[in-house]
Amino acid sequence: MTNSEVWQHPFTRVEDVSRVFEGQDYVADRPLSLTTKLAFDLGKPVLLEGEAGVGKTEVAKVLATVLDSPLIRLQCYEGLDASSTLYEWNYARQILEIRLAEADPERREHLEKSIFDEAFLFDRPLLRAIRHPGPRPAVLLIDEIDRADEEFEAFLLEILSDFQVTVPELGTFTARQRPVVILTSNRTRELNDALKRRCLYLWIDYPSPDKEREIIRRRVPGISADLAERVARVMHGLREVDFYKRPGVAEALDWSRALLGLELETLVPEVLLETAGVLLKYRDDVARLDKLDLEALLDGRGVERKSAT
Amino acid sequence: MEHTFALCREAREAGLTVTHARTIDVFRALRGIDCGSMDDYRLTLRSNLVSSREDEVLFDRVFHAHWRGTDEQESGDYIMARSEMIRGNLDAGRSNEAHRDMLSEAEVFGAEEVQRRANLSLRWDPDAPPLEQVIRELARRLATRPSRRLGPASRGGRVNLRRSIRHNVRHGLELVELARVKPKTRKTRIVMLSDVSGSMDAFNPFLLQLMLGLQQALKSSRTVVFSTRATEITNLLRRRSVHDTLREVADKVRHWSGGTDIGAALGELNRGLLREGSARSTVLIIISDGYDNGDIERIKSELEAARRRIRTLVWINPMYGASTFTVRAAGMKTALPYVDHFLPAFNAAALKTLVRALMKMG
Repeated sequence: MTNSEVWQHPFTRVEDVSRVFEGQDYVADRPLSLTTKLAFDLGKPVLLEGEAGVGKTEVAKVLATVLDSPLIRLQCYEGLDASSTLYEWNYARQILEIRLAEADPERREHLEKSIFDEAFLFDRPLLRAIRHPGPRPAVLLIDEIDRADEEFEAFLLEILSDFQVTVPELGTFTARQRPVVILTSNRTRELNDALKRRCLYLWIDYPSPDKEREIIRRRVPGISADLAERVARVMHGLREVDFYKRPGVAEALDWSRALLGLELETLVPEVLLETAGVLLKYRDDVARLDKLDLEALLDGRGVERKSAT
Repeated sequence: MEHTFALCREAREAGLTVTHARTIDVFRALRGIDCGSMDDYRLTLRSNLVSSREDEVLFDRVFHAHWRGTDEQESGDYIMARSEMIRGNLDAGRSNEAHRDMLSEAEVFGAEEVQRRANLSLRWDPDAPPLEQVIRELARRLATRPSRRLGPASRGGRVNLRRSIRHNVRHGLELVELARVKPKTRKTRIVMLSDVSGSMDAFNPFLLQLMLGLQQALKSSRTVVFSTRATEITNLLRRRSVHDTLREVADKVRHWSGGTDIGAALGELNRGLLREGSARSTVLIIISDGYDNGDIERIKSELEAARRRIRTLVWINPMYGASTFTVRAAGMKTALPYVDHFLPAFNAAALKTLVRALMKMG
């Protein structure tokens, strides 16, 4: 099968990517914009690694919006079965069809041809991505690939090489327009070497206070510049603490919205302690807040142990 | 252009996986990038040549060294970098580059830490009775558990309706053959945390044998040694020759025979290794005599945290088994309530007992 049309991606310069991301209120730094451009230039998948809640998944969503293409999401988990990511036959309907055909002679004639018709096919994310007709590429997000196992990775590698799937009863599907592939990982385990080599790699770190302030201002409409700034500094300070799960950008946004919703403008220790559940999701972590000098933290002076009182 | 080739070569020499395909991709990528910007140039090369956070840092180092004109590659003790372990004093507004550079500073040892290179070959006892068979049994028993994934089975298990129907379409949908499924077996992950402080010196030969044997028998296990700090030696144990292994381990672990800080070691594990993988499949084996110079309270809190991330905690105490031994060491006392299986092993015979006990526990 040949590609009938070759789609030209709209990013001539790295700045084009940054601009387009910003139009979606996603603050992308240079490495991310550049890597995205390379993904389009080279047709390689992108592997994004980073702590939880730094915006890895968001990238895919933004790209899909920007390209005006469907976002096809494959959420990985332990025990994810390769076949369930491609397609499944609607067995129930098929059996029904067969039973009906037994009664109706006309139907029976068509049965052999029709029983494995596309109408009886559930196409799962990978096949759907391959069958996307274009003209613009779909965005295939393979989320948390580290939660799937090695067998699945090997299978995925095959798909990412050829973008071709054979359904025995229907034939071979080849992607007319290869999707843009974004893989995310939380680094809970080492990924398959071959898979890693195939991808462009980028580590996404927590944002700097300035960048985080920008993100908050864009994503939380109605928040004052001052509050956004202070939240950003508190987040930065909090991430210095040795929590089991440090709060991410998602938590920063949630907290900002919470503060806004509760109409809390002044950040005093009581406020932080009361809203701690928005930021920290482990009991031990919340308990640890008590041991910190919250005044200093909220002033943006960073984190120190409470002096003995 | 020459620079690009040189950089690729230097990256490969530094240990990055630089294949031909990747090098070609680098050149393809550079066509679309403004090479005037040093940063863009670096990022373009980097995103094509690296596959992990540590690689990114390593590449940046290689890149800067290249342009600085220095040829020396700092090998140094390069502890696995995790961003949660590199907590520097970031001033507000400083970019991420700053704390990446922290990794290029050489390690600084405290006064009481031992800097000499231990001669581990002296501690290796080639005449010791082989533990291989024992370890193999241990590995087999510890290393598997039923998985959630279902695989085809010729008998037993449950009936797989879907597959049965598929197979039987040719029989006109009378269910003649039944396809069955039963849970596949899944590998358990062993994490071994081994005390190599001064007090454990006498047990080194046995310990080394155990570590090497276990790591080779269970490829997916991880081995960490600790005294005042913890160092992962999993990759080093995969060498073929025992002497190579011993040499490399001695090179990398400069704190062999140092003091003991169990709490700190557990802490590093909690923030690093133990966060990987699922709790249901991790077995933590701690090998230590329990004598500790560090913060006893910390042992408690870290063990509590560790317990949530593992299925079973096994503590092997080489002192246990001698007839006069009672639990006196403070560290041991603190840890005992958290331990599922407390086992002896100061020589091969004791190890056999250990294995039998471990086989029972499953």
